[in-house]
Amino acid sequence: MKIVILVMLLCYSFAFSSGDTTIHTNNWAVLVCTSRFWFNYRHMANTLSLYRTVKRLGIPDERIILMLADDMACNARNEYPAQVFNNENHKLNLYGDNVEVDYRGYEVTVENFLRVLTGRHENAVPRSKRLLSDEGSHILLYMTGHGGDEFLKFQDAEELQSHDLADAVKQMKEKRRFKELMIMVDTCQAATLFNQLQSPGVLAIGSSLKGENSYSHHLDSDVGVSVVDRFTYYTLAFFERLNIYDNASLNSLFRSYDPKLLMSTAYYRTDLYQPHLAEVPVTNFFGSVMETIHTDSVYKAFSSKTSNNKINSEMPVNQLSEHDELQKANIPNDELKTEKQKCPYTQMRVDLHEKLEKFENVDTVVNLGIAVMVFVVMISSSLL
Amino acid sequence: MATEKRDKEEEEVKTDDGSLKIKPRPIVQLGIFLVAHSPVFSVVFSAAGVLALLILPLLAKNTYISENALMPGSARSMLSNRDVSDGSKLVKDIKNYRLNHEGQVQKLIGKYMSEMGAEVYYQKFHPEGNQFHPLHFFSGPDSYTLLDNVSCASYGVNVAGIIRAPRGDGKESIVLVTPYDFINGGDYEALSLGITGTLFSLLARVTWLSKDIIWLVADSRYGDYRPVAAWLTEYHSPSFKDSDLLKCGELNTADKFRRAGTMAAALVLKVDGRSERFEDTLSIYAEASNGQMPNLDLINVVNYLAVHRQGFYVKVEKVVSLLSSSWLKIIGEIFEAVGKLAHTLNPDWNFGIPTADYLEGSATLASSLYSQALGIPTGPHGAFRDYQVDAITLKVSPRFPPDSKTRQHDFFLRGAKLLEGTIRSVNNLLEKFHQSFFLYLLTSPSKFISVGVYMIAFALLVASLPMVAASLYIDGCKALNNSTLNPAGNFKSWKWLDAAKQVFALHLFGLIVTLLPYFICQVPGQHSPSNRSIMWGTTSSSLLLITFATIPGCSPFSSRRHGTNWAVLKSVTISAAFIGLCLMSIINFATAEIGALLLVPTCLIVQPIKPALRSRRIKSLLGAFCSMVLLTIGFPVMLFAISKGLFGEGLVGLSLGGEFWTWLESLWAWKSATYLYIGMVHLPCWLLCLCILFHPS
Repeated sequence: MKIVILVMLLCYSFAFSSGDTTIHTNNWAVLVCTSRFWFNYRHMANTLSLYRTVKRLGIPDERIILMLADDMACNARNEYPAQVFNNENHKLNLYGDNVEVDYRGYEVTVENFLRVLTGRHENAVPRSKRLLSDEGSHILLYMTGHGGDEFLKFQDAEELQSHDLADAVKQMKEKRRFKELMIMVDTCQAATLFNQLQSPGVLAIGSSLKGENSYSHHLDSDVGVSVVDRFTYYTLAFFERLNIYDNASLNSLFRSYDPKLLMSTAYYRTDLYQPHLAEVPVTNFFGSVMETIHTDSVYKAFSSKTSNNKINSEMPVNQLSEHDELQKANIPNDELKTEKQKCPYTQMRVDLHEKLEKFENVDTVVNLGIAVMVFVVMISSSLL
Repeated sequence: MATEKRDKEEEEVKTDDGSLKIKPRPIVQLGIFLVAHSPVFSVVFSAAGVLALLILPLLAKNTYISENALMPGSARSMLSNRDVSDGSKLVKDIKNYRLNHEGQVQKLIGKYMSEMGAEVYYQKFHPEGNQFHPLHFFSGPDSYTLLDNVSCASYGVNVAGIIRAPRGDGKESIVLVTPYDFINGGDYEALSLGITGTLFSLLARVTWLSKDIIWLVADSRYGDYRPVAAWLTEYHSPSFKDSDLLKCGELNTADKFRRAGTMAAALVLKVDGRSERFEDTLSIYAEASNGQMPNLDLINVVNYLAVHRQGFYVKVEKVVSLLSSSWLKIIGEIFEAVGKLAHTLNPDWNFGIPTADYLEGSATLASSLYSQALGIPTGPHGAFRDYQVDAITLKVSPRFPPDSKTRQHDFFLRGAKLLEGTIRSVNNLLEKFHQSFFLYLLTSPSKFISVGVYMIAFALLVASLPMVAASLYIDGCKALNNSTLNPAGNFKSWKWLDAAKQVFALHLFGLIVTLLPYFICQVPGQHSPSNRSIMWGTTSSSLLLITFATIPGCSPFSSRRHGTNWAVLKSVTISAAFIGLCLMSIINFATAEIGALLLVPTCLIVQPIKPALRSRRIKSLLGAFCSMVLLTIGFPVMLFAISKGLFGEGLVGLSLGGEFWTWLESLWAWKSATYLYIGMVHLPCWLLCLCILFHPS
């Protein structure tokens, strides 16, 4: 019995490393516009529109890494100084007061982009420019610019290849930087950029298949340039109908793309992504909506109701009454919570702890444990 | 690998019957084959070259905007009626001012510009044109030195206004030029000021400028080109010494000459005459000195906006006389028939074009070739090309008389919209024009032939020359070996030396003849062009006689003993012509192409006339006759006369020499490499062909 439990302990530590059991705790967005020059106005407008959308749906600025390769707002050719529009009706200025651009101009390079994804920064890079995600993060990676067969052009000078992207994602997975990653790309031949992806938990959607172009949606004849791309335009049109509490699924987003309107075929790759798309709300990536789980204590490692009860039973009586009041206050919450909603990680620890509590002679367990460990060490060293 | 190699060796040994002679490589074999059959191939290649030239209008591609940044026509025009009324007011003011006052209209224009919010300045310049100097040919623009003892008798005053881009970095600019004769300018000329005034009124208030706008009103009293060139010179090479000109006249121009960064593009606007067609006509002139062209994108943008937005009838120059030529029509019909036949065979082959299109294309192509070959800029835009600025001249002909007020409003609006669109496109540029072609020939405003295509015609024409030279050399060596009793076996490879001496002497002569006009110009006293041409002709011919007398074996009239074998002489001549043509094709392709059309047949066909006459065979007589005709045409003066006749300009009989002189003067004044080509390639080769024709063999 005891040995079984020890093996369970070992297993537990392995299970922990796989990370599948972690729950979705936070949302991040990395929004990248890779092309500069005035005539690529629409790429910046695309990115800023998406920035506005994810912010509206609840991802805070500190969790959005916005990379803009050029500054159209302050371009001398811009008829509306310091403003960027994604529609010719000029109703919505995307470049308002609260736009935090993290990487701008020539900072937007393939190197910096890969550094953001993989988290390998120099020490001096401030926290606001880092993607500080963890194993519970859902990340939205949106990229727009000029692409081709398995590459995406950065700054008219360099390219991000599909291998580079796949490699970065793999590193992220190994470093447990995300739980789920959604890559959305609006470029020509966008689908080819996903060819090399292998890491689980990655969902990819691109605006066009191999050999197809992604077209701009319309031209603003006051500004004199195209202001938004078709794919992004219809993505935004979908999200404009939603608010933060809506339950629209990813499937409904993907079905909203009409090849006739896009003039290209939107492509999505789901083979690396387990959940059923119809059951995943879009806010899983484009917003920051998640279940709240009540925890009693932030700092205690084994924080669970049942364990607390056990510990409390040994407490002095005068403290007990006080604690009971707290318990009563917590009861309504407890009832609302279904069994499903309980964090599996916490649940497992609770179970283990309960079993450990039942042992009468703790010393024997410890001694046995040491013996087993010596045994294991001997075997492993002899194998080596 | 080793075994394979051995097999190969064995094979070779077997095939060569034991001898170790290695088979020559295929390319060498091909060369030998071509040289051995050079007469056939030279005829085939030359014919193919001419055919390729004739076929060019069929191969013309539609122009397209190559640079993404340009985006012509994507922005809505912002011109308002207020701008147009500003422009109209300017024209009216100028008219009234000139009726009532004598003197400086420039001030009025300057006042208008500064009211618009531009920085205004005046520039005085000397009308003195370019002078021929042999060393100035490839030296680029003059480092225009200010003369100390200038007279105030004649000078021009340019007005320039600069609108600074409100949020631009001030490092780039776009130039608008309107040549205007402030003394004699007609009503039509004033319209160009009206259009630009309208545009200027708009540009002064827009927020989208990234480049500064310079409006130069050039004083075209002394020609269109000179004031622009003078302004550009001062713009690019500032002088730190006060010119004496500043003190001349009442207008004080001592205020600083202002600049506005490097020029991205320049547009010269002229309004002249009434349009013959129902629509307003826009003629585009692009050729700068030595056949240099502005980037094709600039023409494309203007053409696109003029045709698709403003409804102008756009044209480029064409040789009108070719439109009615019957032989070209027949060729066009043949091509049309062949095109149709090909289309029936394979529906994908769509190279046939209607005869009318072919005629139009050929006439435009001929004019394009001619203007490039001449090397003289076709307008003030040529001055910009010297500074690597892309520029074109737009000549607008309205379809109404200049005093019609109602039409004028519409005309200003459309003209200014065209310029606004072009400027907005250029304003979008991030770099210099570089995306599209610089080497091209136009067959219509929207069709072009790129360098890769038109080079083929020239390459085919010239390809036969080295072949024939090689084969003649081999023949000549054989003949020499047979004829001379003392076989010069040791110096076998030096046989071409005598011939080379002659060729070199005549090329040297050509160089001296080329430089002679410089010295003739230095002769004191006033001489008429005909007198000068006579002086030139006599000195040249006496020099030629001296050359023939002093260098033995050079003259065609020397005895046979001294004379070289004509075949070797011809071989070296052809080589020299080949090198000359190839060099010229790099400097100015159009000159080389037209030159090759003349020089290649002459060089190939020429043969000593004496044996031909002696043999009395029809074939050789015909050959002799052809070479006589070609040589007569090939004489530069004759060529000039023929080209004059071809372009429909009447000859004034006896003054041919004088006209020729004036023509050459214009060539060297514009630093045209064509002049060098005529003097240093064409003339020596022509003389050498004469020598061969009269060779006493």
